[in-house]
Amino acid sequence: MIQYLIFVATLIVTAPLFLTFMKAVKMWLLYKKPVSLLQGYKDFSKLIAKEVIISKEASSITSIAPYMVLAPLVLVLFFLPVPSSNSYYVGFVDAFTITGLITLSTFFLMLLGLDSASSFGGIGSSREAFISALVEPAMVLVIFSLSLIAKDLGVAKAALNLNNHFPIKHLASFTFAAIAFFILLLAENGRIPVDNPETHLELTMVHEAMILDISGFYLALIESASSLKFMIFATLFVSFFLPFGANLPFLFALGLFLIKIAFVSVAVAFIEVNTAKLRLFKVPNLLGIAIIFAFLSLISYYILGA
Amino acid sequence: MFSFDTLSILFLLFLFLGIVPNIFYSFGYLSHIEQKRHYLLHYFAFILSMVGVVIANTPLLFLFFWEIMSLTSWQLILTDAKDEKTTTAARFYFFMTHFGFVFILLFFLIVSNGDVSLSFDQLQPIAKQFAYPTLLFFMLIFGFLSKAGVVPLHVWLPYAHPAAPSAVSAMMSGVMLKIALYGFLRMILEILYPWSLEWGVTILILGALSSVIGVLYALAEHDIKALLANHSIENIGIILIGIGMGMIFDTLQLKLLSAFAFIAAIYHIFNHMSFKSLLFMSAGSVLHQTGTKNIEKYGGLIKKMPITAFSFLLAAISISALPPTNGFLSEWMIFQSLLGSSSIHDISLKISIPFAIFALALTGGLAIACFVKAFGITFLGLHRSTNAKHAKEVNTLMRLGMILMGLVTISLMLFAPFYIHLFNDAITAFGWSNVAQRIVPNFWNIHSIADNGGVVSPHILLVALLLITVLFVIGVKKVGIKKRISHTWSCGYNTNAKTQYSATGFAGPIRRFFAWLYKPQVHFHKTTIAGHTTKFTTALYDVHIKPLFETTLYDGTKKVLNIISYYLYRLAHFEQVRYGAIIFNLVLSVLFGYRIVAHQFNWSTFLVELFILLVSIKILVLGDKQ
Repeated sequence: MIQYLIFVATLIVTAPLFLTFMKAVKMWLLYKKPVSLLQGYKDFSKLIAKEVIISKEASSITSIAPYMVLAPLVLVLFFLPVPSSNSYYVGFVDAFTITGLITLSTFFLMLLGLDSASSFGGIGSSREAFISALVEPAMVLVIFSLSLIAKDLGVAKAALNLNNHFPIKHLASFTFAAIAFFILLLAENGRIPVDNPETHLELTMVHEAMILDISGFYLALIESASSLKFMIFATLFVSFFLPFGANLPFLFALGLFLIKIAFVSVAVAFIEVNTAKLRLFKVPNLLGIAIIFAFLSLISYYILGA
Repeated sequence: MFSFDTLSILFLLFLFLGIVPNIFYSFGYLSHIEQKRHYLLHYFAFILSMVGVVIANTPLLFLFFWEIMSLTSWQLILTDAKDEKTTTAARFYFFMTHFGFVFILLFFLIVSNGDVSLSFDQLQPIAKQFAYPTLLFFMLIFGFLSKAGVVPLHVWLPYAHPAAPSAVSAMMSGVMLKIALYGFLRMILEILYPWSLEWGVTILILGALSSVIGVLYALAEHDIKALLANHSIENIGIILIGIGMGMIFDTLQLKLLSAFAFIAAIYHIFNHMSFKSLLFMSAGSVLHQTGTKNIEKYGGLIKKMPITAFSFLLAAISISALPPTNGFLSEWMIFQSLLGSSSIHDISLKISIPFAIFALALTGGLAIACFVKAFGITFLGLHRSTNAKHAKEVNTLMRLGMILMGLVTISLMLFAPFYIHLFNDAITAFGWSNVAQRIVPNFWNIHSIADNGGVVSPHILLVALLLITVLFVIGVKKVGIKKRISHTWSCGYNTNAKTQYSATGFAGPIRRFFAWLYKPQVHFHKTTIAGHTTKFTTALYDVHIKPLFETTLYDGTKKVLNIISYYLYRLAHFEQVRYGAIIFNLVLSVLFGYRIVAHQFNWSTFLVELFILLVSIKILVLGDKQ
């Protein structure tokens, strides 16, 4: 139980670190002087100290939504598969619930964008709605395929099953699912081929446009929500698609887990440096690839299993 | 005459839950209706007829109440028949409902051998003797599912539901469509029982199509009630996916999974009743205050109408299938039953079912987009018209109706295990095994029946979400953040209602992506001075979308009917010789029909007779070209 709480606390504490780490890797690749790894924490403490400016045009949704954006993601943290097989985990929650909770957070984020009567917020919400509508089917199909490969729909048990007994026969299906899930990781976290988290050019952005009118503490909540979302997706990715090391002693397992997350961050940073942001209407092509890989994963599972 | 078996009692409970809040709402609405007596008479007759349909046990009574239900709802659509649109919608509804009625009547005449006073349980042996059960099944599809609004028989819904008063649209969309599904369920469970695999697949395909097409047209809609009506098509599709999976599993002898899928479908029937009624009621309150159905004319209503806004929000979260609401639970169960397809042995079926999963997931994603649009544009931002500016909260009775329906929605979430036991009882009465203990072994969890299935717990999710939020709020109180109120920043310009994002704009990306399906008609008017654009030009951008099936299927049918009637007209002016020829042809066709029905079918005689028929039509009936 203590190990489990340590794990959840680690996820919360290290979440801003990995986003900054990704930024630093990108800057280093571009021959810039990398940002300090503590920048995420500095930003957070600065935001908390600032006063909140609430728009005159906005309604009570603006004061409800930041909590509702963060709360489901915090809840998901407790349901994630743990890095060590010996520690306690919440075994009963399945992947649909996790997807649902993440979507609940997105739902309130989109409402937040529409609340302040600014057209940028509307633009962001509209694009987010478009992208997340196409992410949903790929996500569900990947879950379906993974639940078959890992013989369980509960995420924690599925990750442990994969760690203890990897079905080498379904490696093809597994790889296809991994590719699809990685694309979803990029799309859901607003990384570069889909959205650029650093730009403040209103015409190109999605996530930032929705929260243009949020400030101070509320912005800190939203920013921590987006870093937690990255941690959730990265954790799911490493525990499903890099399933090894859970049998080590807890501290080693946790260390290995953090190294794996750092590896995912570096991979994302490499992709971000090497690709340009897609036009909005090219994004469905990318998500289409994810959907097709998810289908391929399922079909190859059935054909190999038959 | 009447029977009170478990399915009937379950649907009586369903009617009770759906109707009681509606009556409160309806009485609150009453002061705005001119012909009060007409309205009340038909409203209560409508309710009684639905009760009658649910408890009827003979085809005669069933048909009687069914017809009363159709006629009263038709009259209710005509309550405020001031404009042309309402009468057209009512005519369309009248036609569609009787189109379905003909097929139900035919079905009953065949399965009862013409004796419509037999009770339902006596009909199964007669139905079994009929040589073409698939024909009977398609009669059920046309009869009941045209009423329930399944693609491509759904076109009347977005016309009829907006035309009726809001209480009636809540009743029609929330309750009456499900009564049609009740009829369908009873017929397939009690009369047409040994199903073939293709039937289940047909229902699954119809469900998947309905869900995707319904939500796509809902997204493109600006009329808030038509938007909700299109969502009913989507949810009927989701329910049918559940029923279809149940039928497929049953024919493959996977009894447990079949029971699970049926329970999921019935659960979604209840859930859809609760949140769709709530949505129609709150949309009705908005409409009542602003006097317009156009979503682009609302905005900022949450400040003036908080109760309406929050009941709409509750229903929107629920219909978007977000945890931990009841809509999520039933959609979760339907997903689980689709996942159960991995235990099917037929490989082709196994590979096809993921496409239904894809359709359902895409529907879920688009539904979220649609309800962010509906809630965001209606209730958030600034007032987009003066009407919206002067809106205030509706009267107590209407509010009470909404709150009661909100409670029904919440109870369906909190007492899910209790309801699942009820649904299970309704299914076990028809010979399915008792699975309630496996689905809800305790009060906290809902389990899946599938081998690799999952578990969900609404209570734990709800409590945990509330707990985390409360902890955050307390934390904020402790820290004590400062708040300042200021205008929305919009690059130095004034924020005003015109610069907000519109509903058309919100759905823009999705509409553009699915343009091949929508085929939108875009009008872009720009005023110019002597052909030149000036600094002061005004522009108007307008998009209209006519449903795909309306342009192809319905207009096409209309054209074909016109052509046929032209030839019939020509026939009417024939000489006597040709009358003889027509009678000859009719006799031949009747003979064909008889042989097919009586199994004296033979391809060679069929070909010879077809040849004679065609030749005689060509030479004797049509004659030379004039």
